[in-house]
Amino acid sequence: MIKRLSGAIAVLAALSAIGGLAAIFSGGPAAQDARAAAVKSEPAPAEPKTGTVWTAPDQEAAKKRAQEVVPFVDAVMEECQLCRQMRLREAGLGIKDITNSYFLLDSSIIKKSEDLYGPVRFKHTKHAAELKDCALCHHRRPLDAKARETTRCSACHQEPFRVNQPERIGLKAAYHQQCTGCHQEMKKGPTDCLGCHRKNVPDHKELVNLPEKPEPIQVTRECLRCHKAVGDDMLKTAHWLWKGPSPYTLNRSKHVNHGKATTSINNF
Amino acid sequence: MSANPQAIRAKFWTPGVLVMAFFMAAGAVTVLARFIGGIGYVSNLSTARPWGIWIGIDVASGVALAAGGFTTAFLAHILGRHYYEPVIRPALLTAMLGYTFVVLGLIVDIGRSWAIWKPLVYWNPHSVLFEVAMCVMFYLNVLYIEFLPILVEQFKGRVKMPGPLAALDGVAENLLGLADRILPRIMWFFIIAGVVLSCMHQSSLGSLMLIAPTKLHPLWYTPILPLLFLVSAVTVGYPMVVFETTLATASLKLDPEMKILSPLTRITIFLLGTYLALKIGDMVIRGTYVYLLDGTAQTNAFLVEMICGIIIPWIMLLSPAVRRSRRRLFIACALIVGGVLLNRINVFVVGYRPPVSENYYFPSISEMLITIGFISGLMFLYRFIATYLPVLNRPGQEVSA
Amino acid sequence: MELNRRVFLKCIGAAGAGVAGAATDSTAVHAWESRAPADPLGCLVDLNRCIGCRKCEQACQTVNKLPQPEQPFDDLTVLDKKRRPDERAYTVVNRYYPGRRDERDQLVPTFVKVQCMHCQDPACASACIVGALTKKENGAVYYDISKCIGCRYCMVACPFEIPAYEYHNPVTPRVMKCTFCYERVENEGKLPGCVGICPVEAMTFGRRSNLLKIAKKRIESDPGSYVNHVYGEHEAGGTSWLYISGVPFDRVGFIQVPHRPLTELAETIQSSLFSYLWSPIVLFGMLGGIMRAFGGKSDRDINHKGEES
Repeated sequence: MIKRLSGAIAVLAALSAIGGLAAIFSGGPAAQDARAAAVKSEPAPAEPKTGTVWTAPDQEAAKKRAQEVVPFVDAVMEECQLCRQMRLREAGLGIKDITNSYFLLDSSIIKKSEDLYGPVRFKHTKHAAELKDCALCHHRRPLDAKARETTRCSACHQEPFRVNQPERIGLKAAYHQQCTGCHQEMKKGPTDCLGCHRKNVPDHKELVNLPEKPEPIQVTRECLRCHKAVGDDMLKTAHWLWKGPSPYTLNRSKHVNHGKATTSINNF
Repeated sequence: MSANPQAIRAKFWTPGVLVMAFFMAAGAVTVLARFIGGIGYVSNLSTARPWGIWIGIDVASGVALAAGGFTTAFLAHILGRHYYEPVIRPALLTAMLGYTFVVLGLIVDIGRSWAIWKPLVYWNPHSVLFEVAMCVMFYLNVLYIEFLPILVEQFKGRVKMPGPLAALDGVAENLLGLADRILPRIMWFFIIAGVVLSCMHQSSLGSLMLIAPTKLHPLWYTPILPLLFLVSAVTVGYPMVVFETTLATASLKLDPEMKILSPLTRITIFLLGTYLALKIGDMVIRGTYVYLLDGTAQTNAFLVEMICGIIIPWIMLLSPAVRRSRRRLFIACALIVGGVLLNRINVFVVGYRPPVSENYYFPSISEMLITIGFISGLMFLYRFIATYLPVLNRPGQEVSA
Repeated sequence: MELNRRVFLKCIGAAGAGVAGAATDSTAVHAWESRAPADPLGCLVDLNRCIGCRKCEQACQTVNKLPQPEQPFDDLTVLDKKRRPDERAYTVVNRYYPGRRDERDQLVPTFVKVQCMHCQDPACASACIVGALTKKENGAVYYDISKCIGCRYCMVACPFEIPAYEYHNPVTPRVMKCTFCYERVENEGKLPGCVGICPVEAMTFGRRSNLLKIAKKRIESDPGSYVNHVYGEHEAGGTSWLYISGVPFDRVGFIQVPHRPLTELAETIQSSLFSYLWSPIVLFGMLGGIMRAFGGKSDRDINHKGEES
């Protein structure tokens, strides 16, 4: 048992070295090599760089729009949903009136309280084309007659728990109730967090607790402290359980006779 | 028939004492484990079951069974029935040791034992437990003061400390002399205070559970729980005296004092009858008899408590023949003592059913070891003090009185 | 002996005077009064909104610096078992299948967030021997570790079985329960951790009186989706945390709790017996009188030979 455990830690040490994590924390030359190898072996999924990775042409504009906080609409017109649907249809509002086909659902209002997930990319035109009913989302209009018929969510939904607007939910809840509610009802579209959001990786500078010049084994142990499941999964992979000669190395220049489960580590 | 307490000076290390010493050692090791590993390391206590046998037996039953101290003090000192003088000192010793071990039990049970002084500084007058704690603390001191004359009697004029401490002999002698002069004049205050404090916290111990109506089984949860606790404590006082005096005199081969014990239990008939009437009346008025035959552990414990702990001994005591027979009187009193013990365990442990998590609790071996260790320690100290201090009556000297 | 007797008599006299004074006082013993804050903050949990994402648990752990759980917060298999708040987690979400089915005949889950209810008249605070637990003006039932002795009477008293204990800490264990993020709300003006993170606003934060209005309006405006019961409006004399639900509360783990504050009976008995310590003083006076009448006399009922000295 103990041998197996220490074996697992050793393998994970090697793995994490490949992942480049060890390089970040230890800075040893070997680890840096490993990092370089890692960069070479797979394209980095990091921040899209202009020129190398494709981005939507209106991405920058959407980002800017997401940061705007529009004046709060206090009073809205009370009407039943059917009345509103009829009125919008009679007014002839449709896809052609869409000014922005793409939104990043991100707001400083939400960011104030949490930052666990990245913004959601919302394809406005696509949703409009599928639903053909603006009133499903634009369920109210500002009471002010001069205002536009439809407005963005964050005009009415901003901070939660307003004393004089007790049932006006906040922006974050409005997004979630609207999106997941509709997705559930239509049995279409994601209803879990990761279906729409990318998870923000928390700042590991505060989470990782390592001495000045850590041993590789310390680094692995520190990773496993939180990512225990990753370690457990590793022990069940062929990568770890592989025994005997590998069919992929037979008759190759580098022939390997032993699997990881026996004696060696990183013998591929 | 007079009080003629003397040190027994019998052989101390008998096989029984060795067994006690063994359990004490086992308890001590477990207590050590509790202070190294925490309460969770030795006990089965949980979020749903925060109080176990340490509270149910060590504390609640310990307080109840030490009631002999104040009931005999009331009888002999306040009512002036000096005839019962010979059982006062054993009862006082039991009470003093009982409360000492209540406090020791609390030190083990509370999570921050070192903070046990804090109720002295931070008061919560709304808390029933605060009142209980204050009373227990004052009463423990009262008991020590009431016990002081025994020390004075034994050591006054005879102080001889070993080695370098001998230099302090004079000081000790002066202190004893001072105590001898002052104590008789102020003792009346402490005797009355002892009875008052006892009445207060014996009843309040019952009020403790009034705050948990959803948790305590309806067979026990009643607004008159404090009254029941007080009455049962007063009731168990004399049977407890009979119980421990019989045990002690039998074990030390002394006169069984039946001349005192038999009349002492006459009043128990009345008290136990009152307790029984209160319990049954309460059950009838609140209609809790509907639970009686549902076969749960709680109901069965209640039936055992009522039948074996109250009804049978009450019927036994009604017969003068039982009251005259040493053996049968002992059995009746042991049943009463057991009944009150079971009542406290029922209220604090068996009848306590948390409705949300419905958690099952049975004390762990180490919890029991600590409780048994404390009880052994109590009996050990009782025997030790009875051996070397004038506590038990020595009737052989009666002729000279 | 003479002096002794005189002092004794004097004291008895004083006690008698005390008795007289206390007796007049005792007739004026007040009826039990609630010490609840007039309009505390509170939280309304709408079980129809909760989606069981466990983000509130995560926020609670971060805000209160609680230990990391064994399984990560985004592992929803944790919901397969019913959990209770414990010394490592102030709040947990449980999943129930109370029997509702959707159009595909699938059971519809109801998620229930469990934490301290922050009672208006908390039994734990009344029970606490040192007053380490107190009900704050802003609604929080606050725990002051510096006073606690670890008697765990609060845990006995709590009808919701919320306070947990660090049983495995040998020297400095703490009672662990939801703090309603007291410092965060009171000093930093922020929302409680769980409330702030909830993606669907299953929790509404505000003044308790407003929350009750909101709750009743929600039930009234959609009676088909809610049972007509605001759990916590009257339970245990009222709690700062309130719940509304689409399914009967007893099917989703809520217990029946008396509507009178649990503190009432014990506190009434205690205060009527012991306010101004009148009963001990009366008892002392009475016993003193009896002792004076009988104590000095020789034994009357049975013939005896000696006295104590």
